[in-house]
Amino acid sequence: MVGTSVLRSVAAFAARLSPLKSGNTAANLLTRAIPRTDKVAVRWGHGKRLFVIKPSDYYDKRFLRLLQFYILLTGVPVAIVVTGVNIFIGEAELAEIPEGYEPEHWEYYKHPITRWITRNIYDSPVKDYEKMMAAIQIEKEKADMRLTQLEVRRHMRQQGDGPWFQVPTLNKELIDNSPKSLPDH
Amino acid sequence: MPADYDKGAYPEPPRQTPAVDKQTALPNPALILSKLFYYSVDLPVTTFRDAVDSIRAKNKIVYYHQKFRRVPDLTECKEGDYPCYYEAEMQWRRDYKVDQEIVKVIQERLRACQQREGHSYQQNCAKEIQQFNEVTKNFQSRYGDLGAYASARKCLMKQKERMMAAQAQNV
Repeated sequence: MVGTSVLRSVAAFAARLSPLKSGNTAANLLTRAIPRTDKVAVRWGHGKRLFVIKPSDYYDKRFLRLLQFYILLTGVPVAIVVTGVNIFIGEAELAEIPEGYEPEHWEYYKHPITRWITRNIYDSPVKDYEKMMAAIQIEKEKADMRLTQLEVRRHMRQQGDGPWFQVPTLNKELIDNSPKSLPDH
Repeated sequence: MPADYDKGAYPEPPRQTPAVDKQTALPNPALILSKLFYYSVDLPVTTFRDAVDSIRAKNKIVYYHQKFRRVPDLTECKEGDYPCYYEAEMQWRRDYKVDQEIVKVIQERLRACQQREGHSYQQNCAKEIQQFNEVTKNFQSRYGDLGAYASARKCLMKQKERMMAAQAQNV
């Protein structure tokens, strides 16, 4: 084996002695780098290398890693969207209402995201106002009806000629008066 | 760039920079620092702003100031007409907000005047001080101790008390 170095021949001999050890197959014998243990650079820093015994920080690190992941999972898209909106669309400018023009309810807000929310998600303030007024009207009518009901009840109880406080009794024409028609029966 | 503030309400004080009278051959450190600031901070920020404005110029949107119609007051509503009460209450709330903003503007003007005049603010800002006192006295008498649950009814009752006190005082 003319082109190989002394090292390689020694390694080949060692491989023949223990052929099943990993790294000793013929495929990587010629090409692997054999480290020389006495000439390798040992860098442990300027002090003594210590084996520090401390409790496991795996769980803490895992928690922080997962926290970061789940926050950034929605945080990064939201940040990108908000930055994009602020750069590419930008806030609205105040302008006078043109003559004869009735602006839509979302055109009273400045930021484009607020405008989008009030346009697509919320009801218009006019609709909310009308809903509230409708609720108030319904409650008012209910209260009025209850008051009139009490009033009518009072009247009918007093006068007795209304339909509410009348107990249905038997029809007089169904009574058979024949046992009482003659004095001796 | 956005519109500037109202120069009439917040007048700028007269400039007091002296005429340049250089007597040494040494460079002026103030000039050096101002040029440094300009090139390191002002220019990049302005170019960024101009770039973003040019991108935004294609999608210009406007917003308007909403004008509400005047509706009948609480004193003009018939008794038991709850929708009328609701409309009057909403109008009163809007007016309350507007009045709060008016007081804030007057306060801001007084603050700006004091900052401008320095130690001689008591005589130079007499107009602003008088305006501020008047506005805050009126605000206090109208909306003063109504509290967090203020409503149009409570304000009306306060007005009634004021009128009764004025009548008692006149008699």
